[in-house]
Amino acid sequence: MTETKTVHALDGFFADTAEGPRLLGSRCATCGTAYFPRSAMCHNPACDLSKTEDTELGAEGTLWSVAIQNYPPPPPSKYNEPYQPYAMGVVDTSDGLRVLTQIATEDPHALTIGCKVRLVIDELYRDKDGTSVLTWKYRPVV
Amino acid sequence: MRDVAAIGFGLHPWGKFNDKSVGELCRFAVEKALADAGVGWREVQAVAAASSRFSGGKGWGLNGNDIVEDMGSTGIPVYNLSAGCAAGANAFNIGWTLVASGAHDVVLVVGGEKMPKGFIQTSGNEEKTDPEFVRQRMIGMPGPAFWALLCRRRMAEFGTAEEQLAKIAVKAHKLSVHNPNARFRDEFTLEKVMSSAMVSYPLRLFEICPVSDGAAAVLLCSADFARKKTTAPVWVASSAVATARFDDGIPRGLACPAPKDGRAYHSEAAMAVEKALAAAHIGPRDVDFVELQDNTVYYELAFPEDWGLCQPGEAERLMEAGETMPTGKLPINPSGGFLSFGEATTAQGVFQICELGWQLRGQAGPRQVPDAKIGLAQTLGLGGNGTATVLKR
Ligand SMILES: [Zn+2]
Repeated sequence: MTETKTVHALDGFFADTAEGPRLLGSRCATCGTAYFPRSAMCHNPACDLSKTEDTELGAEGTLWSVAIQNYPPPPPSKYNEPYQPYAMGVVDTSDGLRVLTQIATEDPHALTIGCKVRLVIDELYRDKDGTSVLTWKYRPVV
Repeated sequence: MRDVAAIGFGLHPWGKFNDKSVGELCRFAVEKALADAGVGWREVQAVAAASSRFSGGKGWGLNGNDIVEDMGSTGIPVYNLSAGCAAGANAFNIGWTLVASGAHDVVLVVGGEKMPKGFIQTSGNEEKTDPEFVRQRMIGMPGPAFWALLCRRRMAEFGTAEEQLAKIAVKAHKLSVHNPNARFRDEFTLEKVMSSAMVSYPLRLFEICPVSDGAAAVLLCSADFARKKTTAPVWVASSAVATARFDDGIPRGLACPAPKDGRAYHSEAAMAVEKALAAAHIGPRDVDFVELQDNTVYYELAFPEDWGLCQPGEAERLMEAGETMPTGKLPINPSGGFLSFGEATTAQGVFQICELGWQLRGQAGPRQVPDAKIGLAQTLGLGGNGTATVLKR
């Protein structure tokens, strides 16, 4: 059996680190605000000195809201055929981000707002040549 | 600042017009507004127009220039304003400023749009620096899904039922029956809305506005000029524009800082409304009716609460009690709203203001808000643009 080739849907947004999957963001050293994706500038108007530094974020959080993508989304979205509706969510991470995401789950209707979730790297779709194209998702912690 | 009057309102009906150019739609609306005001084209001293992303404007959003060339090249200044779906009301704000400041006495405000089919798509640029592209490619999350997420959160907080969402669409179409300018003028039963396709749970197809073509124009002028033309002008009590705040909890790209209180609200809209009410020296409860941007039924619940027109969690009950109908305590979208018109993105801010004008003049027929004295219109657009306009008689 050959191992499936994988590729990130876009580079520079997430990484599989020694500690587990992380979002590649930044944090302002002055005011502590977290950003995803990376931001050259701190956008906080109350911050006196923009000083953003690259950091890894978003390992875990709480589901703020959830919805279902019932119809196949138009381009530039991509998905596997035949189309299966999937869950999308808004996650408040424990390190201060409110991030948009797909939710990795077998039962989108069973998700409850307020549940604990963990960042995973998961397949978004398969390319024509069989390459598994990956993105970040959150999965409920059971 | 001087008093500013609105003395002419003109609309091309909303719909899909494959055999008409956006220029024709605009000309129709402009001629209607000029005739309504009793003003000739050569009296117009400046044009403030919404820049369209989809049609006309020589591909540069120069839609005001198209109108001036079409109506007669008198050499007047043209201001083309771009603010996503808020562009029409943004142009109105500039038109109002031009008259209020004394720079011009007679200014025409126009928005016209022909929309491509389907839900609004991304710019087509596949660049990692475009957050719209990244969101759709990496998360598969188109626009309606974003509304669904906000709506589902409300359902969890306030117990909003799916049937209550559908009833808002039913109400919109009850009113559209009486609006000859609306695109969808049939009554929708609750069953029809509930059995429409689920687009993004919890939102169904008839709970989301489609895209349309349309054009609208408003003629603004000084008080002295208005007195020469009419004995009962409608007055611009205020016009305000705002952009989104850093801390409002709405992730506009991929993420935003998570607010400590867990809340999310459209600060660009709330701030524009707050500024407009303050400038008009009125409180939220003094507003007789509202035309708000109902891209989806959710906003008809959330916005009145965000702006203090009613208490948090109260909107569903008011709607079910009929209080958001023209004869109720808090009439919302007597025009039928975007749900009945569809979204002609850059034109709709001007269409809302036309509806305010007709309501305040008592010309709205069976959808009339009885004895309407103060009306509020609101839009919001991509980039965190928000507008609010208060008209009074
Ligand atoms: Zn900072």
